[in-house]
Amino acid sequence: MYFQKKRCIAMLLAGGQGSRLKVLTEKTAKPAVPFGGKYRIIDFPLSNCVNSGIDTVGILTQYQPLELNEYIGNGQPWGLNKTRSCAQVLPPYERHDKKSGWYKGTANAIYQNIDFIERFDPDYVVILSGDHIYKMDYAAMVEYHEKHEASCTIAVRNVPLAEASRFGILNTNPDNSIYEFEEKPKKPKSTNASMGIYVFNWKVLREALIADEDDASSSNDFGKNIIPNLLNAGHKMMAYNFDGYWKDVGTIDSLWEANMELLGKDPEFNIRGDERSKIYARNSALPSSYIDEDAKTVNCFIAEGSEVYGTVRHSVISTGCTIGEDALVEDSVVMPGVVIEPGAIVRHAILGENSKVCRNAVVGGAFEADEKKNISVTSKGAVVEANTVLLPGEML
Amino acid sequence: MNVMGIIFANDATLGELTDKRTMASLPFGGRYRQVDFALSNLSSAGVRHVGIITRHSYQSLMNHIGSGEEWGLEMEEGGMEFLTPYAMSTKDSYRGKLESLYTAWDFLEYGPEDEYVIMIDSAVLSNIDLNKVLAAHIESGKDITVVAKAGIANGSKQLDLALKLDDKGGIADIAVDYVAPADYLASMDIFVLSKRFLMEQVKEHISHNLYHMDRDLVLGLWQKGAIGINVFEFEGVAMFNESIEEYFRNSLSLIKKDVRKDLFGRNHPVFTKVRDRVPTYYGEDCEIEDCIIADGCMLEGEAENCLLFRQVTLEKGAEIEDCIIMNDSVIGEGAELKYVILDKNVTITPGTKIIGTKSSPVIIKRGETV
Repeated sequence: MYFQKKRCIAMLLAGGQGSRLKVLTEKTAKPAVPFGGKYRIIDFPLSNCVNSGIDTVGILTQYQPLELNEYIGNGQPWGLNKTRSCAQVLPPYERHDKKSGWYKGTANAIYQNIDFIERFDPDYVVILSGDHIYKMDYAAMVEYHEKHEASCTIAVRNVPLAEASRFGILNTNPDNSIYEFEEKPKKPKSTNASMGIYVFNWKVLREALIADEDDASSSNDFGKNIIPNLLNAGHKMMAYNFDGYWKDVGTIDSLWEANMELLGKDPEFNIRGDERSKIYARNSALPSSYIDEDAKTVNCFIAEGSEVYGTVRHSVISTGCTIGEDALVEDSVVMPGVVIEPGAIVRHAILGENSKVCRNAVVGGAFEADEKKNISVTSKGAVVEANTVLLPGEML
Repeated sequence: MNVMGIIFANDATLGELTDKRTMASLPFGGRYRQVDFALSNLSSAGVRHVGIITRHSYQSLMNHIGSGEEWGLEMEEGGMEFLTPYAMSTKDSYRGKLESLYTAWDFLEYGPEDEYVIMIDSAVLSNIDLNKVLAAHIESGKDITVVAKAGIANGSKQLDLALKLDDKGGIADIAVDYVAPADYLASMDIFVLSKRFLMEQVKEHISHNLYHMDRDLVLGLWQKGAIGINVFEFEGVAMFNESIEEYFRNSLSLIKKDVRKDLFGRNHPVFTKVRDRVPTYYGEDCEIEDCIIADGCMLEGEAENCLLFRQVTLEKGAEIEDCIIMNDSVIGEGAELKYVILDKNVTITPGTKIIGTKSSPVIIKRGETV
């Protein structure tokens, strides 16, 4: 193996279960959940790394890693398999000193992989999570961090005051340095929410991780422990404002919304981009899609390898799907490999990978514009039998 | 079984479409280049040592194939090699397949211990199980197996190599560059033979100033009774893209489900260079009927019976029918196209009307603005 000193490497926390995605993450880790027709959630932070010139990424996995590991493989789709680059999957492992076992928290996961990081002798380590849909230039954030000679820089965005108590809130001085961090405060003093994207000086982080590990009362978490501890120790910490599109897709509703926000001529999140902001994905080697003479395709995304014979409106159809004759798909997210048989109706639904809606079955329903939309969900490989109904908000 | 693949990139026969590319690098089917079929067929059969023989305009081909990674041919042992003319400081480029093999002698001689060679062209597209062909070749005990297809000869198309079988499956006639009647089989330019036999024959032919595979080796030796030929009749879809008319017709035949299913069989996927385009966006008012559509397009106009490559923009009010639109082309508002092939990166300005015919579609060259 050849190791080169790196100015900056990234560690991507991809071990979470994502339990709020319910049946969609029963057998799949959240970062491997399909998104936007041909992507998976992890493609966004990984592609951001590549587009930011970060060519060494450690990916910490724990929950249901089979598919995620398969998907990442050797990192080839993101160009991370070259002589001087890597996408290294880092599962929990057994150590001689008993400080091992499952990753106890986000900080412990990094702690257990100090050896991996040390091999590259980095100046900076970017900590990322596999939960969000966004495009961001991490290089600009590292520049900012370096310019301000901070120990840690945290990406923040403005959130509505009403929602601020759901986030880690950063209270800052006029120069954007952080004087206080509050995890999910009841009475937030500001609306600067942490995006869970950190740049650390590696030496500072390394010490903090070791100290944190020795503290038996710690929950070994970045938000709860590492950040407050560094702040209390008087380290210079900066907030880095980001105002681009950023969406937590940790719930059924937000995952559905984020997919819908890709649609339109001038979408809220434009996934298209030039070579520097392209999102890369593992390719499925399927032919181009086919749109039949009786098909109707209105305001929708349809990925390669799909065959459309019915009607698709305001939906995202992923790779390798079949939409049968006289079937109707509306306001839905159809994940890869789904078959919707003739005459079936699917509305306000997320259909999990390779699930099947048989003839004349009905999934979900229609809602008024101001009504809460209860999304129906099928899990991977589920079958909605012919002539049956999956009610709005139901899961199979 | 150690098998070596040799792909011939083929010289251009499609006019403006192959001005600056080989037949191998001609775009096909929305996201492919023609060579993807030969490469994927070899790759699916487990062949891990492939040479690509190319003579002219191979820049786009090399760009497309790169290290062969997408086809699993990026190997330390074997893998993929480009065999270009002048590579071995010979004075001349080559005239025929046998001569080209002679200039690539080191590839044949010093490669891994391959026992058999599969030779395959890039102008005839199919999804063929080459292991079956190889097994049939070995079982036949003949010197060479020619893969051939019925139904291509029609009394007007000239075939490179035509074969007629007798009642017992033996060969009644072989002809080269022949406008064959319908009862002849057309060679798909896929040959299987032992490496030892091929090397002997290449040497023998070159020494006698003979260089043509079909005419000298197959026909010549057969006439002398000096070769045993096994014919493997292929039942699946074979697309002979040897003229613009055929290329146009074959491309649009992908709209037929049975053709598509055959050519892109799920068990033998066709691999190509990945481009990572976003899924195609279908706008509020688009009307798309009977079309094959690749990723990355923005569709707001009307299309019927068309094949759209990646990243095509079809603006509002544009109408296209029976067209092939290659990568990155833009069709402006209210434009009207029928029987047209747009090469890559063409811009059709708003309101432009271009009408070709089925047998001779209008071709707009790469990068042009009309």
